[in-house]
Amino acid sequence: MTSLQPKMWGERKLPPYVLLLFPAVTFMVLMYAWPFISSVLQSFIISGKEGGLTLANYVKVWELYRKDIAFTFAVTIFNTFLVGVVAVIFSVYFRLRQNRVSALLSAIFKLPIFIPFVVVSQMMNSFLAPHGLLNTALAQLGLVNLDKPLQLFNFAGLSFGFAWKQIPFAVLIIHGGFQMIDNSYIEAARSIGAKLPSVILRVLVPMNKSSIIVALVLVYSQIIGTFTLPYMLIGGKVPTTITVDIAHRVNYFRDFGVANALGVCSYIMVLFTAAYYLRSKIKEARQEVSQ
Amino acid sequence: MKRILKKSAELALLVTVFLIVIGPMVSLFLWSVAQKWYWPHPLPQAITFDYWAQALGLKTSLAIGAVSIVSAFTLSILIALATVVIAMAIAIPAGYALAKYKIPFGTIILFLFLLPNAFPQQPVFVNILQVFTKIGLSGTIPGVMLIHILVGLVYGVWITNATFRSIPPSMEEAARSVGATAFKAFYKISLPLAAPGLFSSAVFVFLTSLDEFTGTFFIGLPFINTLPLTLYSSSGYNMQFASVIALILLVPSVIFMLLIQKVLKAEYVGGMG
Repeated sequence: MTSLQPKMWGERKLPPYVLLLFPAVTFMVLMYAWPFISSVLQSFIISGKEGGLTLANYVKVWELYRKDIAFTFAVTIFNTFLVGVVAVIFSVYFRLRQNRVSALLSAIFKLPIFIPFVVVSQMMNSFLAPHGLLNTALAQLGLVNLDKPLQLFNFAGLSFGFAWKQIPFAVLIIHGGFQMIDNSYIEAARSIGAKLPSVILRVLVPMNKSSIIVALVLVYSQIIGTFTLPYMLIGGKVPTTITVDIAHRVNYFRDFGVANALGVCSYIMVLFTAAYYLRSKIKEARQEVSQ
Repeated sequence: MKRILKKSAELALLVTVFLIVIGPMVSLFLWSVAQKWYWPHPLPQAITFDYWAQALGLKTSLAIGAVSIVSAFTLSILIALATVVIAMAIAIPAGYALAKYKIPFGTIILFLFLLPNAFPQQPVFVNILQVFTKIGLSGTIPGVMLIHILVGLVYGVWITNATFRSIPPSMEEAARSVGATAFKAFYKISLPLAAPGLFSSAVFVFLTSLDEFTGTFFIGLPFINTLPLTLYSSSGYNMQFASVIALILLVPSVIFMLLIQKVLKAEYVGGMG
């Protein structure tokens, strides 16, 4: 690639990529890297006050929001697990059964992926309401008494919303991985008498481990960072998610210190998934360069 | 017998999944045309398209409490168009450079473009708000555009980078070997070959801007009301109107994404809105 460049460029001339990268990198440093670093720094400063670094914001976070942090973590872990299990089952189904029914299903499954979160939130807002379509439909089937409808603007409804949006997304990634596995592996396992569960657990899932992990890492970090759905579904009710608390702290109190301390808590929650994601992407990029 | 059982189990699965996936969308549609819908009725008792007409500016009636979204819609489209132009003008050179050159500190630069996908973005928006408030950019259209460019740029760089990577370097080298300048080789060879990928990338950036909520919520409110923010502010008091806006946002996203999805890596499409 570079073989044609050298020699023509004298010692003093800048290599061409400097100019090409300059606008994008400058923009990212000013608009992303700096605010990111600042969010960590500000979490140790009380807004509007002079003075040194303090842990006061974190004390306040502990006093006021420890339940919400636990709630956020619980919602995220539960949904990552749920999405993982259901998405693997559906991806296996799409891989092994190729008929009209599965083709139709996989087409329907694509829709939620492309619907933005703000629209999903509005959908769930009306669909899961005490007298919304879900409750009235279940009442028609005799499963719900409309005098005591299901209350879903909480953990359960939030999970329904996340699962609705994220399972199809995870299927897209995981099914892509399964399609790379050649039929001969499955046939070989079957020919020595492997039953379906062991074909799944001992051939398909291990061979597709990397795309399953990538899907789960992305789902996990997206759920922690999502503001729209919890904000429109749960709002200020207790318990709610960290993202909603950050918005409240900023909009009602202009308290950037505590908001940033909450932000750092969400960074800490994604530390492992972020490290995994960054490492695997950089490895991928290096491999592509060396090819 | 066993086959019939298996077939009907599969059919039951299909119906259940279909209802779960489609249910919330049906709810949205029903609300957008519901004139009267009192529970415990499973369906609206009276249907009207007045909310649609009013939202689209075809009709003005104070009785149903909806307002025209034409101005919010125009604003959203204009912001999205400007975002695409600026973000792509920055992203294409960067994506190209990352694909074609061996760059010292390349890993750090890659890192910079990966971080927004790895960490929650909301705290970053909060800190941008602080800076923007000081320099008078919060609550302004340029301020909101900068946020949309930030969100779009990351995807823009990744998608254009993948596109340029897929073009064999030998093609440009051939052009250079017969005397073309670096720019001419890019302009005549790589650019046309990359056009479909670049176009998809631009469409994607357009959609992320059109659907962007979180950043606009912090930077734009209460002065800049894009379509997603109008949806949010009406969802509390006017279910019909909010549903109309939600459907207006949903349709272009689904249609365009279905068109460009083959060019995109699966992991890009998850983080929208």
